[in-house]
Amino acid sequence: MSRIVLLIYGMAVLTAVSFAEYRGWSLTRVNEVPNVPKSVRDSPGSYRSVYGYYHHYTGGK
Amino acid sequence: MSDQGPVPAGTPQVKSLNCPNCGAGLTLRTFGQAVTVVCGGCHSILDAQDPRLRILQTFQAATREDPPRIPLGTRGTIRGTKYEAIGFQRRSIRVDGVSYSWHEYVLFNPYQGFRYLTEYNGHWNDTSTLRSLPTLSRGGNTLTYLGETYQHFQTANAATNFVLGEFPWQVRVGESAEVSDYVSPPRVISRETTGKEVTWSMGEYISGRDLWKAFQLPGEPPAPRGVFENQPSPLSANVRTTWEMVAVLLTLLVALAVLVYATARDEPVFEDSYSYNTNGAGDASFVTDMFELKGHTSNVVLTTRANVNNNWIYLNYALINQDTGHAYDFGREVSYYHGYDADGSWSEGGQKDSVTVPAVEPGHYYLRIEPESDPRHGSIDYTVALRRDVPQVGFFWLGGLLLLIPALLITWRSMNFEHLRWAESDYGGAPEGSLLSTVENAVTSVKDSIAREDE
Repeated sequence: MSRIVLLIYGMAVLTAVSFAEYRGWSLTRVNEVPNVPKSVRDSPGSYRSVYGYYHHYTGGK
Repeated sequence: MSDQGPVPAGTPQVKSLNCPNCGAGLTLRTFGQAVTVVCGGCHSILDAQDPRLRILQTFQAATREDPPRIPLGTRGTIRGTKYEAIGFQRRSIRVDGVSYSWHEYVLFNPYQGFRYLTEYNGHWNDTSTLRSLPTLSRGGNTLTYLGETYQHFQTANAATNFVLGEFPWQVRVGESAEVSDYVSPPRVISRETTGKEVTWSMGEYISGRDLWKAFQLPGEPPAPRGVFENQPSPLSANVRTTWEMVAVLLTLLVALAVLVYATARDEPVFEDSYSYNTNGAGDASFVTDMFELKGHTSNVVLTTRANVNNNWIYLNYALINQDTGHAYDFGREVSYYHGYDADGSWSEGGQKDSVTVPAVEPGHYYLRIEPESDPRHGSIDYTVALRRDVPQVGFFWLGGLLLLIPALLITWRSMNFEHLRWAESDYGGAPEGSLLSTVENAVTSVKDSIAREDE
């Protein structure tokens, strides 16, 4: 690999890391929901989370 | 000689004679310095020191079967000196029942004497005899010459199969010599033992293309096949350069990490404590007070601490922008189990959990929280804390890994080249103590342990 190619590659990696840190990116994702009605603030139960109805495994060791 | 410009005063002339066996014309180019000359017509080996050209040996061969790639009489400039190809021989060794043959050319310059070219599978070496003796190590695995260490590569008996032209020694077809090669690419030192006579020579790898240019030969040289014992690795210089550049880039990455950690706001924006009664019935969801996320678009890290003890709590979170209605919806579990069994104490999970919500725009937000747990476990206390603009160490690790990939790749390719080189040696692998040997042993060890586990 020529020096110039490696230099461009390295600078691209550093730029990507800088941008990811500045924009607050994360390696994990969360679900995004647009247009949640303002009424949720007065009636929290009206909101339906996509992660509702959780079934926990309690096996333990 | 006329095509080579003016002949220096005192230069001996080419001598023409006839073969005493077949009568074919012989050309002596070495002006009496050759010891033997081989007739190209009948393949008689003649004593060049005898005025009557006494016949020393005759052998059956057809020159057309294996013609010299550099025709005898061809002149070329090597290291600034003009040489003429005067002799050609084919030699071979047998290893594990397989015969490997190569070609040797004798070059001559009336002022500089003899020089040799060897060719095997398109790999060429410019060879000359050593004027001082190398120092052999006690075990004979290495030798030192002019401060450079050479690794033993191969020892074999080389037989002469075909000869043509003039030679500065008593050449014979069928004669054999023990040849040991010691390599330090691009050089190789060879020790050739015939009876009590030992000859040391040094070869330096030279590309066929350069040789073709030096001798102005038509066409293209034969393409090299495989990796030769002293062939310089085309990657060795790149490996060092690449690691040096990667070291600089990694230093820049560390400097960037220091800068990010020093300048990130990493500020607390919200924290509150709650209690969830698992005995309670009905809707447990609620919303928090409003809080503001300032600055540019950045992440938010939500940390949950709960006093769970052999219990769990699951929290449905929604981070909702009051102004735009945009929500980030996620669920987190905090669970902690521990106890004792026949193996001793054990534990699973913990009382703390963190999650990063990426790229959250500034604005006024609140959290909608909906806890869940096993019913009838009493009250679970938990705390929810939010921090804004928190550096993510994972990106620096990922960046470091990405920067290492080119260096690791080129190192692997370079080691593969060396592996192919040493696979042809007497050892079938890299010399003990070398980096390649260490890596090969480690790989073998891992493979063996995997095989044992499979059994």
